[in-house]
Amino acid sequence: MTAATITTDINIGPFKIPSNGQNMIMNNYAQRNNLTVELVIPEPMMSQALATVQWIHKERKLTKVILSSIHQLPVEGDRINELLKNMEDVEFHFALEGISGKGKTFLMKIVKEAKIFMNSQNIESTKTNWLDLHKTMKNL
Amino acid sequence: MDIYKELTQGKGYAVVQIEDMKIFKELRDSFIEKLNISNNSKNDINFVREKIAKMSKAEVNQCMIDLLKFNNLSEMIINSCPKLVESLCGKELFIQRRATIVMNVPGEGQAKQWPHYELMSGISPFTYVIWAPLHDLEENSGVYYIDQKQSLEIMKKEQETGIVNGPTVLNMMSEKKPEQLNFGQAIVFNPFVLHGNIAFNSKLARVAYNVRFQSCNKPLLQKNSDYLKYYQLN
Repeated sequence: MTAATITTDINIGPFKIPSNGQNMIMNNYAQRNNLTVELVIPEPMMSQALATVQWIHKERKLTKVILSSIHQLPVEGDRINELLKNMEDVEFHFALEGISGKGKTFLMKIVKEAKIFMNSQNIESTKTNWLDLHKTMKNL
Repeated sequence: MDIYKELTQGKGYAVVQIEDMKIFKELRDSFIEKLNISNNSKNDINFVREKIAKMSKAEVNQCMIDLLKFNNLSEMIINSCPKLVESLCGKELFIQRRATIVMNVPGEGQAKQWPHYELMSGISPFTYVIWAPLHDLEENSGVYYIDQKQSLEIMKKEQETGIVNGPTVLNMMSEKKPEQLNFGQAIVFNPFVLHGNIAFNSKLARVAYNVRFQSCNKPLLQKNSDYLKYYQLN
């Protein structure tokens, strides 16, 4: 087994990426990193558990999986624990962030970083303009 | 005027000294080593610059792709100016996931960087940029900066027309005077200051790096984990 790519819901943390876009991102990453993709796993929309991947792993013994972003990892404690328990030995790749690794420590660090980003404030670029952005910078 | 005030209320940019030259020199040596274009170029930045100056555009591009492996560059830059970074953004940061090394080949036919402000890329208005060359700069080979007041006037004109990077900005490329920096100096600037570079004559290429950083307690704009990573200063 070489690598499996995983598509998920279009809403990925702060990003909105349709599944064909996710495939482009992951396939480009695989090509740049000399990874051969043998399996494409579609997770259902409105689910952030990576449950499909976990039951396929039981059957197919995945060694490497590619996701588009760290924001596709589960956020709820129980779901993270389940993922860590079942897939600790699998190498995870995150294409947009360009990072990879495996094991509990690595995945926990990634989950923590994703949470820091998700808890950050965001300026909605469609509701502002250049000069207002400058005022925001000057006044804070 | 202190640096923070200069960046937010003043010119919008300032020349600073690198605080930890040991890290900065290690950074330069790592660049030379990772570029791997000569077996005897260790610690000889000018030898490398001469080689780069003779490369085709495609070869320069390939070198820059190879340098993506330099994945601790951002941390090295931040750690070479820790007091500056902390005074602007505190200890808990979002820093550029992969800092950029830019190699500019001399000559009229080579790529020029048109005036732009960093905010155009979608980074937060609370971001700062550190830009520094890996050698003393020769005349006109650096970056020119247009002070915050003038940059804002142009931004205002562009906002009225609804065009970003339109003719007003593009026609500014001529007769600009780049900042003259020596090895060990850097420019820190805010994302609203227009800047760019012009063609220069030399036998040596210009090599410089830049990194973007912000407090992780300040809002993000369009750039997120795709571009930034969490980093805590020691």
